[in-house]
Amino acid sequence: MDISLIIAQFMSGISHGMMLFLIAAGLSLIFGVMNILNFAHASLWLVGAYLSYTFWYILQDYSIAMWLSIVLTTLSMGVIGMIIEIVLIRRIYNRDLSEQLLLTYGLILVIGDGIKIIWGVDNKLIPRPEIVATPIDFFGIPFDSYFIFVILTGLSVTFFLWWFLKKTRYGHIIRAAVYSREMVSALGIPIPRIYTGVFAMGIAIAGLAGAIQAPIGSITLGMDMSVVVQAFCVVVIGGFGSLLGTFVGALIVGEVYAFSILLWPQGALIFIFLVTAFILIVRPWGLFGTPMRK
Amino acid sequence: MKKFKFMPFLFLFIFLVEGMTGLNCGKKDDTYNMGVILSITGAGSIYSKDGVDALELAVAEINAKGGFLGKHQIKLIIRDDQTKPDVAVTVAKDLILRDKVKVIQGTYSSACAEAIKPIARENKVLHIAAISNSENITKVNFSPYTFQVVPNSYMQAQAVVLGVGALAKKNNWKEYVTIASNYEWGRSTQNNTVALLKKSAPNLVLKKEFWPKLGETQFTTYITAIMAQKPDFVIGSIASQDNASWMKQAGDFGFFKKIPYPGSLISVTELILQAKTIDRGTVGLCRAPFFAHMDNPIMAAFVNSFKTKYGRYPSDWAVMEYDAVYALKQAVEKANSIDTEKVREAMTGATIETTRGKLTFRTIDNQLSCSSYIGIVADDPKYPFPIYKDIVEVKGPDSWRPEQEIVDARKTEKK
Repeated sequence: MDISLIIAQFMSGISHGMMLFLIAAGLSLIFGVMNILNFAHASLWLVGAYLSYTFWYILQDYSIAMWLSIVLTTLSMGVIGMIIEIVLIRRIYNRDLSEQLLLTYGLILVIGDGIKIIWGVDNKLIPRPEIVATPIDFFGIPFDSYFIFVILTGLSVTFFLWWFLKKTRYGHIIRAAVYSREMVSALGIPIPRIYTGVFAMGIAIAGLAGAIQAPIGSITLGMDMSVVVQAFCVVVIGGFGSLLGTFVGALIVGEVYAFSILLWPQGALIFIFLVTAFILIVRPWGLFGTPMRK
Repeated sequence: MKKFKFMPFLFLFIFLVEGMTGLNCGKKDDTYNMGVILSITGAGSIYSKDGVDALELAVAEINAKGGFLGKHQIKLIIRDDQTKPDVAVTVAKDLILRDKVKVIQGTYSSACAEAIKPIARENKVLHIAAISNSENITKVNFSPYTFQVVPNSYMQAQAVVLGVGALAKKNNWKEYVTIASNYEWGRSTQNNTVALLKKSAPNLVLKKEFWPKLGETQFTTYITAIMAQKPDFVIGSIASQDNASWMKQAGDFGFFKKIPYPGSLISVTELILQAKTIDRGTVGLCRAPFFAHMDNPIMAAFVNSFKTKYGRYPSDWAVMEYDAVYALKQAVEKANSIDTEKVREAMTGATIETTRGKLTFRTIDNQLSCSSYIGIVADDPKYPFPIYKDIVEVKGPDSWRPEQEIVDARKTEKK
């Protein structure tokens, strides 16, 4: 096996990892700041994919339809996230994890049936514009040019979140709220509004991931269930609430998956679960996380 | 009068018993309840949608003429198994016990078909598999109530071997890899193909097998991993939504331009969905392409009705579900009854008229003698999507497993 093929497989793992990062980033952010484990996160990712199809369908006569649909989906999902936080999530902040599970699991069922009602059961397909429709030559191996865009988007989101949380005033407030909600509240900063913003941002990123996923294959019901497990593995490995952890966790899962497919295809998923189980045993809060708050 | 005080209770008792046992004062229900279990959602939804449409069309046509035997209207009860065997079992029981169906048409997934087979047998309900085609559905753990109107995985594998063997010889191919969905049908088809290729072309070397899970949406890592093997060709056993995703993503990678992909399942659904992008010249396999039988008046009429009603051409899945209803109709007519035992007996070994010609159910396994089709993807001005040219129709009796092997397999099963 020559080196170019190993590089191609490595790139394939990076692109898979970046897609997982985009899905898991919002999940981790919401848990880290709000202590809410949103089991419906992947379902909202799927809503993002369907929504992008609708935007693309409306705008398909324009050459930038696909790009515009990604932007509009991200913004719309932010608004949807805001509504969900205000109407539902806000009421369970002080409840047990089991109640969070029940509520967010209920959301999965509602969203699943809602998608069937709104978009039907047919597959949806978004054709790509020419610039990302043809493979590029990567060390002599063809590589899907769209995945270059996926990787760049993943890196941009990572940089944006890092900049936002570390360098802006709002980011400082959010990080302070992670450690002491009471203190932040005592300073006159409205915690509920901060939480609404964080939840909206998390869901907007899920929407962005869904919109980016849409032109890769066809959009189908049940897609969310096939990624949700790997997304949870990412945050468990990286550490719930840690941006860096989610990024590293996503790359680990992506590369483990890619190379286990290359070397032992039957056991591709087993390796991911073995890594996840190992981390859970030796460091339950993940590689870059901190022990969970009570 | 005191002794009649119990009368209200007696009436109440009779009323309750009647309610519970479903007595309806001698009124006979002539409706024929036909249950359908397909994957309305989940990995098999693309194929299943066409199947449901064809079933509805066939039932509407028969009901317009009075129903079975001109007097039994068919009531179609459609359930979604979500491509999950446990759900299929639940809905099968519900259809049998609550809706009192006499037949279950379906399913998409072979795992679902195998899951509901024993339930249909226990309850003496007919079960016609028109999409799911693992040969194990009828080969082992045989049920006299289960019939298959689709070429099974062994028959399809034989057809692939025929086509691929010729191509391998012509192009001097030496090594290949396989990619198959990791569930009953994918494993069964892949294993049969590899075993038969080993027999017919012993020089071909299987380099690696890839098993993406059922419902896989991201094939990127598989595509690069297959390319890394540098095989002379690839054989795929992926279906429905997974196949749509695989074909699109592999196409976007330029995979099919680099590596021949002969004899893999490219049904009419894929030809329509991938009309713009599918590589012309690809050698594909399908189960019931309507364009191969347009000279048959039954097929021509079906295509016309389907197109008029739904505004599109029928896929393989639509053709086979349509045939399943008419197979049942002909068995009912032969039995001159809708009694399940009589219909089952009439259907066993029956020769029936279908959209694909005159076909016979083989007695040993209730497998219909339907053909598999191999062809080269090419444009045709008559259709808005590519079809197959130079079609090789591999007839059922030329491709199905020899009866003795089935007998042997069942003996092993008993041990």
